[in-house]
Amino acid sequence: MELNVVDLQKAFSSTSESERIEAVRGVSFTVPGGRFVCVIGPSGCGKTTLLRMIAGLENPDRGRILLGDKEISAPVREIGYIFQEPTLLPWRTVLRNVEFGLEVAGVPLRERRQKAHAALELVELQDFKDFYPKEISGGMKQKVALAMALVVEPKVLLMDEPFVSLDCQTRNYMQVALLHLWEKTGKTIIFVTHNVEEAVFLGDDIICFTSRPAEIGKVLKVDIPRPRDRTSTELNASRKEILLFLAAEREKTRSVNGMFTQVRDLSEI
Amino acid sequence: MKRTTVAASLLAVLLSTLVCIAAPREVRLGYLRNDLHHLAAWVAMDRGFFRDEGINVEIAGIFNAGPEEMAAFASRSLDIGYLGVAPSATGLANGSARIRAVALANAEGSAVVVRKDSTIRAVRDLAGKTVAIPGYSSVQDFLLRKALEAAGMDPRKVNIIVMKPPEMIVALDGKQIDAFIAWEPHPSKAVTMGIGRTLISSPAIWKGHPCCVVAVDEQFYRVNPQVVKSFLRAHVRAMEYIRQNPEDAIRIGIKFTGMDGATVREAISHIQYHYFAREDDIKEYVTYLLKLGYIKSIIVDGFVREYLDLKMIKDIAH
Amino acid sequence: MRYLPVFSVVVIWQVLSLSGVIPGNRLPSPVNIFLGFTELLTQGLPPGYGLAGHCAGSLKRVLGGVGVAIVTALPLGIAMGYWSRAREYLNPFVEMVRPVPPLAWVPIAILWFGIGDRSSSFVIFLGAFFPVLLNTIAGVLSINRRLIESSIILGASKKALFGKVLLPGAMPSIITGVRIALGIGWMTLVAAEFTGVKSGYGLGYMIMTARDIQRPDQIIAGMAIIGIIGYAMDFGIRIMENKILKWR
Repeated sequence: MELNVVDLQKAFSSTSESERIEAVRGVSFTVPGGRFVCVIGPSGCGKTTLLRMIAGLENPDRGRILLGDKEISAPVREIGYIFQEPTLLPWRTVLRNVEFGLEVAGVPLRERRQKAHAALELVELQDFKDFYPKEISGGMKQKVALAMALVVEPKVLLMDEPFVSLDCQTRNYMQVALLHLWEKTGKTIIFVTHNVEEAVFLGDDIICFTSRPAEIGKVLKVDIPRPRDRTSTELNASRKEILLFLAAEREKTRSVNGMFTQVRDLSEI
Repeated sequence: MKRTTVAASLLAVLLSTLVCIAAPREVRLGYLRNDLHHLAAWVAMDRGFFRDEGINVEIAGIFNAGPEEMAAFASRSLDIGYLGVAPSATGLANGSARIRAVALANAEGSAVVVRKDSTIRAVRDLAGKTVAIPGYSSVQDFLLRKALEAAGMDPRKVNIIVMKPPEMIVALDGKQIDAFIAWEPHPSKAVTMGIGRTLISSPAIWKGHPCCVVAVDEQFYRVNPQVVKSFLRAHVRAMEYIRQNPEDAIRIGIKFTGMDGATVREAISHIQYHYFAREDDIKEYVTYLLKLGYIKSIIVDGFVREYLDLKMIKDIAH
Repeated sequence: MRYLPVFSVVVIWQVLSLSGVIPGNRLPSPVNIFLGFTELLTQGLPPGYGLAGHCAGSLKRVLGGVGVAIVTALPLGIAMGYWSRAREYLNPFVEMVRPVPPLAWVPIAILWFGIGDRSSSFVIFLGAFFPVLLNTIAGVLSINRRLIESSIILGASKKALFGKVLLPGAMPSIITGVRIALGIGWMTLVAAEFTGVKSGYGLGYMIMTARDIQRPDQIIAGMAIIGIIGYAMDFGIRIMENKILKWR
């Protein structure tokens, strides 16, 4: 099922209410079913806003989002979301967290348990099913978050820099694990990151955004077959292309007013 | 030079002593708010009887209840006070304050009140009903029991609760309680407000029973007997004045309670203003307190002899 | 020993009382207080009204008032925590009623409910309601917004959100509120009972009687009982808290 994003636009009022800041301007793209798409861009450019609009968490000022032929204007089960910090309910065990989506859908206990177990096996955490979130590591928490999202069988999985708080080695490991999951389940994944290496390692297509307001600057196809070698020259070539693009965007930013998340001048401190 | 200074200081000391002796003695007085039983004190103040006796009476406290006044005695804030036999005797027996009852302030002056339209016509009809009393161990508590026993009833058959008298009338009207017993002016007020009628009153339960006394701090009594005697002379004069000038007594009652004339008039008509307490009556009351366990381990005769000291009032009366 | 300081204070106090430095009518000695306590136990005050009955009477009123407070404040607090509009509109009422001390309501309570358990439970309810409400609101506001968004994405309806996310998420704050509410309720109770207790049973009522017959030893013994029960209830809640919140 393909995801269509048509002419999205979103602006915010700044906290001092004096200006409207455009976060996303006229973004359109299509993601065919089963693709792994990475979204990359300078910090604060509006990537998260874009993702939240696709998830239905924010409403665009203009434009539409279509999953197949269904219009998306509110959160739906077909579109899952993984946040930067794992959103596990701290008062539930790992197993009961994974069950959550099924529980609120009214799935009976036995079926719920079975599916939750299966999801935990998928992320290789079945031994930790009775642990509480405070007792497991950050990487494991994100795996649980993945299991939670996958157990309700979404068509699309949106991921907002999910590995950004993990250490380098865990991150690399999680990227490999994610790819395995993706291959097994065939979901469409839209993965936002600011890490270029991560983007080229993971994605089929890489959408590069300009600095704020976000518009599509460049789309790169990474045709390298998987499993990919992080150190290969082909991967490096893609990396270079994106790094140059980002550097150019950064230059433009410096000469304009700065990111809407930054303090504009000292009188605001 | 030195000699003159010494002489001057001696003279100053002498003069100030003379001044102290000559000036009116201070008495810190206490009484209960709106309690017409203490009318004698108000009359003495209003008519200047204390001044005539050469004592200067300062109102050190106006209390809502006897136990509060006893606490003031305990903290040595009062020299003389008008309050019930109940709290003063209980307090002395339980060691809360050392006081002596040197005269009666009034006799009788309480009544059981029921709703005007109630079906309660006699004391026996109180069985199973809720009756409010001002407090456990109070004279009203005793009167109620005496009335119930006289009617051949077990006091436990009645649901007794404690309430502040001002709240009793409202509670009676709102059917929260079926009857109450309290001191004047509350029974009269219930009647003049058209809310209640008297079921039975003091003279029918225990004729001439003591109610309030004039209590004096024991140490003050020992150190200033002349002042106490002067006070009591004014007290006796006030009692006689009430008897001889009923209309003016009512005026003074209105002045000190702020209540309407009809209520005050009705209330005063039920109160006996005597200053002699009968020892046997006090003994009967103390025996009841002992029996019910409100006071402990005293020998009634010895205790009453300690509590009641009518020497001075007998002197004055002759 | 941990209790040595307390023990020494009691011993010094007893010695001072015996020697007359502390007059018995101002502050009874520890021994007298203990004897007064045994009288409360064996004879009862007023005579015939046993201590167990007084404890039961008071506990019934407090638990009733606090119970109703919890049942009403919890849902309202969750709603006010979740919807800023609700907070905006209801805050003025809350902030006007909250500062009024519960005891000031006693005359009105008696007017509305008569002299009985309901009026004192009402006064206690007023004291207990606001800590629970405010703590529930704070608890809901302290939940990570992302958790709520994630739950909505996973398909939670409003009802599921309130019951399975907001309520458990605010629970640490709520339990604190309940602890405070119970403490305030227990303290308010004694004074509430001073105004009259129809059944004749209540710890505040017992203390009032002790005051009427001028037995400070029994007043203090009664106060000690109130303190001990209050402590025991708080202790009980803390144990429950540790069980419920073992995930922290």
